[in-house]
Amino acid sequence: MEWVYGNLQVILDGLMTGALYALIGMGMALIFGVMRIVNFAHGAFLMMGMYVTFVLYDRLHLSPYIGFLVAGGLLFVFGFLTYLLVLRPLPGQESFMVILVTMGLSLILVDASQLIFGADYHQINIPLQSTNIHLGPHIAMNAPWLVSFGIAIAMGSAMYWFVMHTMFGRAARAVAQNRYSAPLMGINVNRVQAMAFGMGAAAAGIAGALLLPLLYVFPEVGNQYRLKSFVMVVLGGMGSIQGAAMAGLVLGVVESLTSYYWGNEWAPVVDFVIFILVLSFRPSGIFGSQRA
Amino acid sequence: MRRSLSLLVVLGVACILVTTDCRKEASGNTIKIGVITSLTGNQAAFGQAHKAGYQIAMEEINAKGGIDGKPVELDIYDDQSKPDQAVQGVSKLVDQDHVKLILGAYSSESTRAIVPVVTQKQIPLIMPTAVADNVVETGSQWVFRICAGSGSFATATLDFLKNNGDPKTLAIIYENTNFGQANNKSMAAAAQAAGLNLVDSEAYQATSPDYKALLQRVKSKNPDAIYFASYLLDAGTLMRQSEQLNLNPKYYTSAGTGFAAAEFPSPEKGAGKFAEYTFSVSQWLPSAKWKGSQEFDEKYTKLVGTHPAYHGMEAYAVLQAGAEALKNAGAGATPTAIRDAIRNLNIAETPFGPVKFDARGQNAHPVLVTQIQGGKYKVVWPLDAAESKPIIPTPEWSKR
Repeated sequence: MEWVYGNLQVILDGLMTGALYALIGMGMALIFGVMRIVNFAHGAFLMMGMYVTFVLYDRLHLSPYIGFLVAGGLLFVFGFLTYLLVLRPLPGQESFMVILVTMGLSLILVDASQLIFGADYHQINIPLQSTNIHLGPHIAMNAPWLVSFGIAIAMGSAMYWFVMHTMFGRAARAVAQNRYSAPLMGINVNRVQAMAFGMGAAAAGIAGALLLPLLYVFPEVGNQYRLKSFVMVVLGGMGSIQGAAMAGLVLGVVESLTSYYWGNEWAPVVDFVIFILVLSFRPSGIFGSQRA
Repeated sequence: MRRSLSLLVVLGVACILVTTDCRKEASGNTIKIGVITSLTGNQAAFGQAHKAGYQIAMEEINAKGGIDGKPVELDIYDDQSKPDQAVQGVSKLVDQDHVKLILGAYSSESTRAIVPVVTQKQIPLIMPTAVADNVVETGSQWVFRICAGSGSFATATLDFLKNNGDPKTLAIIYENTNFGQANNKSMAAAAQAAGLNLVDSEAYQATSPDYKALLQRVKSKNPDAIYFASYLLDAGTLMRQSEQLNLNPKYYTSAGTGFAAAEFPSPEKGAGKFAEYTFSVSQWLPSAKWKGSQEFDEKYTKLVGTHPAYHGMEAYAVLQAGAEALKNAGAGATPTAIRDAIRNLNIAETPFGPVKFDARGQNAHPVLVTQIQGGKYKVVWPLDAAESKPIIPTPEWSKR
């Protein structure tokens, strides 16, 4: 029976990590879906969200569970402006150029953080971290993880609802389907794309804020999550945000189980194995439709 | 015509650059000693401890007149907790600043990286803190280590355990760079030699937020004792998550560093109440019986605001030893003469204990075992240095 409880704990932990991954992946999927942009600066947006939340906690003692709203708002504006000023002017938005530009943006953001905050690691210690919620004698969950999980699910659901049930969401899906016919339907493509980019950045920023009580912030913290977002977008089906969300949960659980059975150092390997398997055998992703 | 003119200009500029560089070397009013440590990055806490230790030693040496009447000046290079930066630091210190002696680095990873470089450039290196034994096993004649290594950590811990309850099973949890790997190797070998059953050995990446799966694995093997090799941030996360998973070995032991950091028992920067009852090896404590320890503790506390852990003392000790060697080697000594002077050092009494380097460059430094009791580090082993009795077995989390 101990075996069952052990695995259950591991799966639950994986789901909680997975919810954060899902939020990051949904942001990336939205950007890719609407604009076919592979956003190499996604990890940097997460890092920025983390730093904003850290500064708010450090200077104003604002809990990260309120600070995440500020981080999300700031990153939305930042993403919106980045799209309008940096990405839209690129001729034809050729994917190669976009990749280079977003990579360059990532480098600038990471190095700027290093200049401003130093290479030091910063952590926050909120009182909630000492609270563990026990479900019976065998399963325990750390309170900040649960709260981050809850908020991530809420934000992800909000994003999904927004894309599915609002006028903007419909416009975004139209642009994703056919960028050239969309203006014929009266859609302001530039505004939709800028808002989508902003929303994607905000998702990454919020995920960063939720991660702050669980980890620590340093300039390169975003890099590992950027890699995971690529895997999630591919696994979930290019541009499907619900697919990316599912993929995030799957990734979290698989990583956790791998750590449990083979050791912690194999967990990152699993990301790449999944990436290669999906690209080789089902490039349209688990939830993607078979389209070019 | 234009091409040869620009060529002349380039040559002229090059000449100026070369001569100004040569001119820098001849400023002989201070004795410059190179230092590499991690002032920023994930080991910044320890690098800052180093810096304070170096500063206190430098002030003491200069107050006594310096070396041959000249004050000591420290040329500190920040490796940002990255081994490739440490290697760059050696180049900068030796090729640009022309130092003849280097002290450092902080981590085993960075130190291991600079051993081949100092050997190739033939500059002596005194290592304050690198614990991995591979830093003194390369056969290089240019490196010296003042602190005890991972092999000594393992034997001291096992010694303590055998005489305090004699647990039968052990699990090792270690971070996956040189420091952790070296301690894992040393402890695994020592445990086998001592007849202790090693039931699990887990590596982890220090930047991961979640070790629960790993701790769950260890829990399922039910070890009597766990031996950690961790830095500060991961040590805190590991202890917090151990509580969450209700992991209750009879002994939490460790290879120092994160578990011996000054910040570790504090709630703001460390593990707070989750650090209680953990054992750690220690190279030195303010309450150590070596003369000068208390004075160092007072100076350090006045400078930094907190009591020193052993990392600050190690920096102090290598600078004092290095200065002594420079004095013995005499003014204008070559790096080779300085190296020989270090090798011939035989200081019976320092606040860090006796200093004498063997043929490998290793100083025979004794290892202590401490336990955190009431939020403070207390020496519990060996018996002639102990200030407190160990609290064993470790109380279960639910009963605290």
